[in-house]
Amino acid sequence: MLLPDVPLHPLERGQLHAMRLAGAISYGIAAFGLGMGSWVLGRAWEWLPVWAAPLVVLLLAGWSIGVAAPRRWARWGWAWTGRELHVASGWLHLRHTIVPAARVQHIDVAQGPLERMFGVATLVLHTAGTANSEVHLPGIARQTAEEIRDAIREQLTGDPW
Amino acid sequence: MESPPEPSAAELAVAAPGAVDGVPEEEAPRRVHPGTIGLWFLKKAPQNVLGLPAIIGVSSGRGLRWILLAAAVIGAAMLVWTWLGWRRFTYAITDREVVIERGILNRTRRSIPLQRIQDVSIEQGPLARIFGLAEVRIETGGGEKDEGVLDSVSLAEARRLRATLRGMAVQAEAAATPSAAATPMAESGEGAGDFVVSEAAPMRVVFTMSPARILLLGAFSFSLVWIAALFGMFQFVDQFIDFGWDQVRDWATTAEDQVRARFSLTAALALAGFAVLLGVVSGIVRTALREWGFTLRFGGGRFRRTRGLLTRTEVVVAARRVQLALTQRGPLRGLLGWNSLSFQTLGGSNDANGRQVMAPLARPHETAAIVNLAGIPPFERLPLRPVAARHILRSLLHSVPLPLIAILAAALFFSPLAWLALLIVPPIALTAILQRRFHRYATRETSYQVMRGVIQQRDWIVPYENVQVVSLEAGWLQRLLGLATVRVDTAGAGVVATPDVVDLTLEDARSLATGLAARID
Repeated sequence: MLLPDVPLHPLERGQLHAMRLAGAISYGIAAFGLGMGSWVLGRAWEWLPVWAAPLVVLLLAGWSIGVAAPRRWARWGWAWTGRELHVASGWLHLRHTIVPAARVQHIDVAQGPLERMFGVATLVLHTAGTANSEVHLPGIARQTAEEIRDAIREQLTGDPW
Repeated sequence: MESPPEPSAAELAVAAPGAVDGVPEEEAPRRVHPGTIGLWFLKKAPQNVLGLPAIIGVSSGRGLRWILLAAAVIGAAMLVWTWLGWRRFTYAITDREVVIERGILNRTRRSIPLQRIQDVSIEQGPLARIFGLAEVRIETGGGEKDEGVLDSVSLAEARRLRATLRGMAVQAEAAATPSAAATPMAESGEGAGDFVVSEAAPMRVVFTMSPARILLLGAFSFSLVWIAALFGMFQFVDQFIDFGWDQVRDWATTAEDQVRARFSLTAALALAGFAVLLGVVSGIVRTALREWGFTLRFGGGRFRRTRGLLTRTEVVVAARRVQLALTQRGPLRGLLGWNSLSFQTLGGSNDANGRQVMAPLARPHETAAIVNLAGIPPFERLPLRPVAARHILRSLLHSVPLPLIAILAAALFFSPLAWLALLIVPPIALTAILQRRFHRYATRETSYQVMRGVIQQRDWIVPYENVQVVSLEAGWLQRLLGLATVRVDTAGAGVVATPDVVDLTLEDARSLATGLAARID
């Protein structure tokens, strides 16, 4: 944890499910595609085992869904201090971003199909910055996202820059 | 893209107050004009409805009927999809914000607070003009292009939106900062008028580049890359102009062979000397073309820079839009006490965006005077703190192993001559070791200051009010060494040369990041 003084909320459990399902879908498509590919090649070269490529993908999928996803999920954290939004993430490369409410230009509350399925939303804060002009906080309840959005709007005064 | 003529001041004055009074507390969400479905459909139709089936049909040898059928099916599906997109896209103006909802699968609800609205512009493309529609762009000065685009509404609705939003944004701004004399809305809204005012304001010259100084800068700008380009061009010209170059080259080669047979070292040196001379001359020519007559004027809170020999350019930079000051010292110029100064700005209506050079080659007192005019505190070296000592270790690990491995591999597998390349390792290592000496930072009363770089040295002055987002980062090596990097995002920045502090101890990084965030209000 980069800033231990700021107590962080974990993401919603639903976000973990959404991450796992998203992983499962993309790995499933990859396994199917590779399976078809090796089946076609297998008709030309009989020595080629049809199951090899999909098996590798399935092993990767198992690792990604069973091990990597929960770790990545657990590394996310957020806090709204009343003046700033803190967003922490990253498994190998840690990152902790502080967005002062006074610098926010506009705010998105977004939900993809998987996020809707598991009842979570992504809060996106847009600032006038360049490299980091969009700060994403995925995996919070829609109601929480709306509450933070309203709280930030209350903070806005005068000139942002 | 063409914009329709701005409504006259009288029209705005009549429209704005009425519209503001007429707006209810919560306006019901509206959809964009239904004609937009046709507009979107027509825009995408050529490649999707006709192109795709035609390509598949022709390449697989199917007939015209198949192509038409496929086009009809795809067209119908697209029409339904476009209609769904139109249905999901709604906008509403409340007393505090503009809300735009959109997305069929990925649904987004965007809130643009009224205080943040910089300008509302109306655009009409040729297709939109046929339908009598217009695109409304709500600009907030954020990092992206399409912050709030309503594509498309009727022209009347576009005018109503602009009048309403302009009126309300000014009110919101006035309520938030009662003392503010000039709101950004008024400034960007009446951009033309503003510009005329500054034109009338007296401007005095604050910095010029004399021809001698341009020559000096040109000599510093010597580059071998340019020589390569020049030779490339010769080769290119060679192929097109029948000038008897071949003969000349034949003579030259014969002469060269003769010379090489006797004085190969002298010839090589002469060639090198010629290349350097060419590099210097081309550097001077290039610099003179760009910087000739460089004049920086200041007056009425604005800088105006004019320069250029063949194409004269003029750039206006408002002092209040300057986000940070960056002073750079190149390898040789730095040693001789020369600086270059640029401002990073967030463009207004007539202002330039991005990094603008304010003085290409200047003495420190000259750049300090320009920085002072912009209302930015001076850069002070003494209070600066160094980064963590382990920064040296990480710079070494970053820069030395890779060339070392490459040289070893080349020497073992290709030619023992490659051992000579080991000569470049000590300078690289030395630069890495010196890294920490030149990487320092401080948080002053009103600004955050950073210096970084050994060969190309850079000093940043970032007033706290221009810090947008602060982040702390640690990669795996940094975590192993107990280090962290503090990144500061500013408006109008490039992606290179940002005022980051790399490799602080965790405690220092934490206090710097929280300290910076705490000073923003």
